[in-house]
Amino acid sequence: MQEPVFSYVPGDSFLHTLDPRTKLAAVMLLGILTFRTESFFGIGALFVFFFALTSFSGLPARVFLRAVRPMMLFIIFIFFAQLFFTKGHVLTSFWILHPSLEGLQNGLRLSARFILLLLFAALMTASTDPSAITCGIERMLRPLPLRWMGVNSFELATMMNLSISFLPILFERVERTKAAQASRGMYFGKNPLRSVPALAIPLIKGVIRDAEELALAMESRGYQGTRRTSMHELTMQRRDWIFLFALILFAALMLRF
Amino acid sequence: MIRLENVSYSYPDGKPALSDIHMGIRKGEYIGIIGRNGSGKSTLALHLNGLLKPGKGKVMVKGMDTRDISRLQEIRKIVGIVFQNPETQFIGRTVEEDLAFGPENLCLPPEEIRRRVERVLAEIGLENYRYHSPKTLSGGQGQCAALAGTLTMEPECLVFDEVTSMLDPDSGKLVLKHVKKLHEKGKTIIYITHNLEELHDADRIIVMDRGRIVLEGEPENVLSNPFLLDLGLTPPSLMDLAERLKKHGVMIPWEKTSSPSSFAEEICRLFLKT
Repeated sequence: MQEPVFSYVPGDSFLHTLDPRTKLAAVMLLGILTFRTESFFGIGALFVFFFALTSFSGLPARVFLRAVRPMMLFIIFIFFAQLFFTKGHVLTSFWILHPSLEGLQNGLRLSARFILLLLFAALMTASTDPSAITCGIERMLRPLPLRWMGVNSFELATMMNLSISFLPILFERVERTKAAQASRGMYFGKNPLRSVPALAIPLIKGVIRDAEELALAMESRGYQGTRRTSMHELTMQRRDWIFLFALILFAALMLRF
Repeated sequence: MIRLENVSYSYPDGKPALSDIHMGIRKGEYIGIIGRNGSGKSTLALHLNGLLKPGKGKVMVKGMDTRDISRLQEIRKIVGIVFQNPETQFIGRTVEEDLAFGPENLCLPPEEIRRRVERVLAEIGLENYRYHSPKTLSGGQGQCAALAGTLTMEPECLVFDEVTSMLDPDSGKLVLKHVKKLHEKGKTIIYITHNLEELHDADRIIVMDRGRIVLEGEPENVLSNPFLLDLGLTPPSLMDLAERLKKHGVMIPWEKTSSPSSFAEEICRLFLKT
């Protein structure tokens, strides 16, 4: 079976052993840098930084190709939209299309930014266990006054964890419901609009039943939606501080030039 | 250890599910609860650790009332439930994470959580599946992982709610083997099933019908009771055979009906004697 996009690849590289909070902060900072950088030199530097980080991760190239591939059509669309619809010095003319130099620059810049964002996100998700990510998010959100919104960081973390682990079950249930309806003569290709209720109603019923059973199992194992501890102990190590220092230095240099 | 006093419960639509249940469960006891679908077995199970609260009467666990919300966490530490469908019991993304879910809710320190996870993984024989997704396990292994998830809470009493009904016979035997082992270690077991073949080792069997306890006693007496057929329950095949032989004057002792091999040995012994 093909691995899903942005899935975790177990390992023990430098990047794998960093605290998830360090990696979350790094992705946020690199995301901001990606959108603030206008020059091609800056974008090139971000790509170099990405390749440097990749060399510390021991992750195979297919992880990153898999992250970019589904968005390629969108990226190409953005590139051509910018190329043909940005006003400026016309490079050449085909029929009603007049690609401009500014359009080419904008297109390249925007496409590179999207690719960079996808690559940094893939680097983090592939080197961090999803439960460690949710644990990191929970620890980062803990000081915020979320209770005014009627939730707490523990509930949010459990919700995220459950969403991650229940997506495959949901897809499996869709396939099972489709097969059950097809075995009773439902032909999905003929009239997709008519087949939606035939698929959606049993699917929703099944999902609600699963959710009820899951809630009972969670409650039975002591879940109360309040404070809970975690098997993963999050402690910032020396390497986390070194990494963050190097990152801030890089960000300062990028913003300076 | 657990006491149900005149417990009644009705579903939100008003349909009665349990009527005037009165029973006690001693520490270390192995109790089988049987009954056909809709007899109230699972509803009863959900009352044992406060997942459902009785409409009338009360459920006491080691002197704590399940209606007292402040004691619920303590009650759930004592009574753990393993449900029918392993798939909808998994919360963690990996077996290890799933096993840690209960102790994390009990706010145990990380080193204690890891100690419990290690111990239970070894006890149930799931060490090799530690980093596997629980959803990729086979039916039997999945149900063992669900049991392991409850065991990390270190409960004194375990309720098994039709845990083998979705499994093939071999996987069912694997789960039953663990149930037996846990009972030998002194755990209190409440085993709910409609497969009477699984209850040979129980100390006591309770038969339910339409939300009431209709029969109760030792397996020897309950499983051979013809009343079971009226309730739509099929007696274990070896016991049924022993009953039929009894009518022809061939007496097979109860303990020999536990497995086909012991039954066959007894038949051979009787045959050689004559």
